[in-house]
Amino acid sequence: MKVVEKRSGQAKPYAIHTWRDFPPLNISRGNMLHNLTGSWRYIKPLYEDKVPACQNACPAGNDIEGWIRLLQQGEIAQAYWHLKREEPFPAVLGRVCFRFCEAACNRAPFDHRLGIRSLERFVGDRPAPAGDIPDLPPLHGKTLAVVGSGPAGMSAAYFARLLGFAVTIFEKEPVMGGLLRLGIPAYRLPRAVVAAEFAALEKMGIALRPETEIGVDIPLEALVRDFDYLFLASGSHASLKLRIEGEAHCRRIMSGLELLRRFAADEPPRLGKRVVVIGGGNTAVDAARTALRLGSEVMVVYRRSASEMPAHAEEVAQAQEEGVRFRFLAAPDRIELADDGSIRQLVCCEMQLGAPDAGGRRRPHRKPGAVFTVAADSILTAIGEAPRFDYLAGIAAAEKEGVPTDDGLRVVLQRCREAAIYAGGDIIDIPRTVVHAVAAGKRAAIAMDCRRRKEDVMRVLADIAIGTGGALSFARYTGRQPVPPVRRNLHKVVTKEQIVYDYFQKTPPVIEEIRAPADRMTSFTEDRRTFTVNQAEAEAQRCLHCGRCTECDNCLIFCPDMSVLKRPDRDFGYQVDFDYCKGCGICFAECPRGAITMVDEDQPIEASTARRETE
Amino acid sequence: MQKRFDLPREMVTEADLLQPGILSCQGCGGAIAMKLALMGLGRRTVIVLPACCMSIIAGVWPNTAVGVPVLHVPFASGAVAASGVRAGLDVRGEKDVGVMAWAGDGGTYDIGLQSLSGAAERNENILYVCYDNEAYMNTGVQRSSATPPGAWTTTTPKGAPKTEPKKDLEKIMLAHHIPYLATASIAYPDDLVAKFRKVRGIQGTRFIHLLAPCPPGWQIDPSQSVRISRRAVQSNVFPLYEVEKGRWRINVIPEPRIPVIEYLESQGRFRQMPKAMADDMQADVDRRWEELLVAAGVKKA
Amino acid sequence: MKQVIKGNHAVSHAVKLSRVKVISAYPITPQTTIVEALSEMCASGELDARFIKVESEHSAMAAVVGSASAGVRSFTATSSHGLLLMHEVLHWAAGARLPIVLTNVNRAVGPGWNIWADQTDSLSQRDTGWIQIYAESNQEVLDNVILAYRLAESVLLPVMLTYDAFYLSHTSEIVDIPDDRQVDAFLPEFRPPYRLDIDDPHMFGGMIGPDYYYEERYVMHRDALKVAELYPEICREFSGAFGREYDVLETYRTEDAALIIVAAGTITSVSRIAVDRLRSQAKTVGLMKLRMFRPVPVERWRHALGRAAKIVVIDRNLTAGLGGVFAAEIQAALYPLAKRPQIFPVVAGLGGRDVTPEDVCGMVERALSEEQAAAGPLFWGLKQ
Repeated sequence: MKVVEKRSGQAKPYAIHTWRDFPPLNISRGNMLHNLTGSWRYIKPLYEDKVPACQNACPAGNDIEGWIRLLQQGEIAQAYWHLKREEPFPAVLGRVCFRFCEAACNRAPFDHRLGIRSLERFVGDRPAPAGDIPDLPPLHGKTLAVVGSGPAGMSAAYFARLLGFAVTIFEKEPVMGGLLRLGIPAYRLPRAVVAAEFAALEKMGIALRPETEIGVDIPLEALVRDFDYLFLASGSHASLKLRIEGEAHCRRIMSGLELLRRFAADEPPRLGKRVVVIGGGNTAVDAARTALRLGSEVMVVYRRSASEMPAHAEEVAQAQEEGVRFRFLAAPDRIELADDGSIRQLVCCEMQLGAPDAGGRRRPHRKPGAVFTVAADSILTAIGEAPRFDYLAGIAAAEKEGVPTDDGLRVVLQRCREAAIYAGGDIIDIPRTVVHAVAAGKRAAIAMDCRRRKEDVMRVLADIAIGTGGALSFARYTGRQPVPPVRRNLHKVVTKEQIVYDYFQKTPPVIEEIRAPADRMTSFTEDRRTFTVNQAEAEAQRCLHCGRCTECDNCLIFCPDMSVLKRPDRDFGYQVDFDYCKGCGICFAECPRGAITMVDEDQPIEASTARRETE
Repeated sequence: MQKRFDLPREMVTEADLLQPGILSCQGCGGAIAMKLALMGLGRRTVIVLPACCMSIIAGVWPNTAVGVPVLHVPFASGAVAASGVRAGLDVRGEKDVGVMAWAGDGGTYDIGLQSLSGAAERNENILYVCYDNEAYMNTGVQRSSATPPGAWTTTTPKGAPKTEPKKDLEKIMLAHHIPYLATASIAYPDDLVAKFRKVRGIQGTRFIHLLAPCPPGWQIDPSQSVRISRRAVQSNVFPLYEVEKGRWRINVIPEPRIPVIEYLESQGRFRQMPKAMADDMQADVDRRWEELLVAAGVKKA
Repeated sequence: MKQVIKGNHAVSHAVKLSRVKVISAYPITPQTTIVEALSEMCASGELDARFIKVESEHSAMAAVVGSASAGVRSFTATSSHGLLLMHEVLHWAAGARLPIVLTNVNRAVGPGWNIWADQTDSLSQRDTGWIQIYAESNQEVLDNVILAYRLAESVLLPVMLTYDAFYLSHTSEIVDIPDDRQVDAFLPEFRPPYRLDIDDPHMFGGMIGPDYYYEERYVMHRDALKVAELYPEICREFSGAFGREYDVLETYRTEDAALIIVAAGTITSVSRIAVDRLRSQAKTVGLMKLRMFRPVPVERWRHALGRAAKIVVIDRNLTAGLGGVFAAEIQAALYPLAKRPQIFPVVAGLGGRDVTPEDVCGMVERALSEEQAAAGPLFWGLKQ
């Protein structure tokens, strides 16, 4: 391929001094390369990778486009390691994530959002082993104790180890995984998947200490003494009470979380024939579906309407398919008990929706006088959980209401200067989702490393913040560039207005196969099937690659001034010949994915001559 | 997956038949059209250029930006001068060298129509390309018979938009029984290039009608030339089809099809267009599209 | 080989002998029989040329602009309104330096419609940059074509050959049609120094700004000036080959003439009779036949006319508001002479009206009888 450094150097000026130099007729003698039309320009194009909407929406800052690109190239192992740079547990989040990414996907308004979670799961379950984690750095000597082995603790441990910390995870339960293991039913997240993640963490040299409760088996003070850094991720397990008449004396009432925990610990309780679940979140639905699988008839009572349910709509639908009944706009009023403490009936009142609350959901109100009764053998409550702080007793900063954090992410003890204490996951005030917990672990690991290196953490966090969502780029923090290693603007988010949908074909999404309801409801084996390679490839092709150049050549094809040059040796594969570019902006307007920005002519563009990284 | 333009790679990366330094305005649709046309035609081509924007764009003496021979000729004489070049090349035994007359809508619809008709009737072995920017742009945006109704030009000024429909040039050309006629758009470069490649192998008069947006004349941002070309196709204002030896084929069936008003609203020149006129245009576009579907055998009459 | 043929057919024969490769023409009376004969020749294969049968004279000229740009010998023929319609492209062809040969049958310009002899059509093309040569006989018509290609291809300028409607176009005369091998020897195959060539691509006729346009035109003018020297040389070579002598002009009994008649086209034939008649009356009268009118052979005109006391210029053309074109140009050419002849302009024979030897004798006698030339032309034969 011809690579021309400076075309204006090929200008052929034709010297004319007298009329005798003229040919007898009007015939051209040279070319127009001397005519540097670049001087007409007042704005200029800049190839600039940006943040896709999916990545912007992901609390963990998952570089989704990056690994999907590798997936499209058939590089599954590379995709796996690339994914794990920002989000360590694809097999887990590929199953249970709330999919903020998909909700934000720019493909959604076009045909159907991309099945990012399914693809992530495929990558996490990768059909072939991906080998050992690359680039595991040596330990620098600083130690970290992680309290709690749920997703926040796992994440902090993972990233801290990648930053050279010697890490130990303490877990009070006999099994590792916290909520992943005890709070999410196995048909959604098989135990083996969680176990495999811990095997991987162990392989990285992370020490696992199950059945070790802080404050019981080991005093908190010992941790503070023995470790340089602490990360508290003990979760939020204390279920909120209904606070209605009859609750205190009812023998057949337990929290949904407790049901899930006991089931996961192979100690399932007897629920009876008719089970009523109170609540509308995922725990409610998980508890309902688990109760169903244990042979009960289940009704979920929720005080708002279906559209306000915090639970995954998809799982609500699956629960309905399986036979779980939902009673919306209803709230428990009192439990009428038999003498033996069993339930005679549950009395509920009908609700109606009023004005929206601070979160934007309409607030339910009792409809005066509208009361109905529900027959129930057991009641499962799932109206929310609160963290427990009792094991922190003695540490001044620990308060009943929560762990106070200066700047929202770390606790520096007043009296205990030996260790820096950080907290994350459901114990702190963030949305209670697995991916938020993972994000908190990442954030804490980076913050701890900044402290270790005596860097200004807030400045560093601002530098590595992705887009507008507050996620952090671990790759940027460690100085490792994403693939391809190009001029990447971490702060500009690509919205649907920047996508030229004309360049894409409507393609039906590939959906994970799910077993039939009748089959599902009798079993705790996983209900959905990981994509096959073909399915994954097909779905991966639907990615729009928002804000990330794919070298589609549109800029080159459409440039009216022949000013876009193919440069495989350069970032982005193109070079704008500013000798001639008139700044019309067609390359920008026809870039299908917003990977070109028009900037003011006076803005300097850093010369980028780095060769493309081949990984 | 993105619909990529199926253009042979060497065409895209080594196309130097139109070199930079050209004198087109920013975002010139005509320049894109010429660049793509030359990709399809290749080096063994002679261009005959009656007066049009390209007369300026292509270079100023003593220089040329075009890598094939170019003969400038008077405004009205594009098709016939091309016939003469054709005859000359034939006499020289260079029958495989293609001759393309490249004219604007003024040089085609209006002043050059007589000589075009003559050449087409004689079935001269030439390619005639009209890159249509729907007004006399080189002289500063005056109406032509290709100007659509409702459009502002300096001779259909504010308050007095053009009221007459655009001349149906394709029908005129087809009435000459030419072996090949096609429309093409810079927004569909693969289709455009394929058509220019195809016509190399066809004997007789070949006619290609290109829509070439003119940012100053259409009162659009220079970055929008390709997008508006695409809107013209998507709205059926400028459908892409070809008629080969009397066989009609629609090349692009717009999906999704957009209302004509979306096309009109994207351009400043239609700002003064009365609503009723836009409705009429929609009706006209629909009627012509139906005719096209029937002609192409997609639909029964 | 001598044949009795019409002027138009003399053209057709000459075109064939010149091995023209591309012809483009549109019929117009009285040129039509040229086109017809050439069509037959092309159809029969007698002439190996492409004939582009266009839809107008504008197109005919544009077609040969195209073919000549491709570097092949090209020909067209027209008359009157056809020539006027070509006007734009005539400028183009000359500016593009294309050695096209055009024969124009001089015919009056409408309205009203008049198909008879008149030279206003070609004279109104005098500023197009074309070489113009006027013919008196059918032999000259034929020879002029062959000479014209030699000249045009030597200087890269187009040549317009004219002759009078009907007096020549449709009148049969004895014409010596040369042997084609002789013509081939005199007029070799055209090898253009510039042409459309995909192996050496250039742009022709592109935009040119104020910085260069002037010089480009000046170069064209300089080359046109060379014609006055070059043409006589070509004519001498022609004479050696074919035995017929031509020049930029022709004089008849002017050596001692006190009065010289100047005429072009067939009026020169009747003027020659008039000269003999007047000489027999002991009036020292001569004749200068205009052949080349563009470029103007100024020095030759001055040399031929400068010694006469009086000059009668007969114009079968009219530029309204001035008079005859030839007279005006001769006046201009002779003006710098220290001793200027008296010039008596006469306009006669417009629209094909006969001009007889008696008419010419009358014009001369009128001039001889007057001391001083009138301010304007004499309109000879005007119905009073």
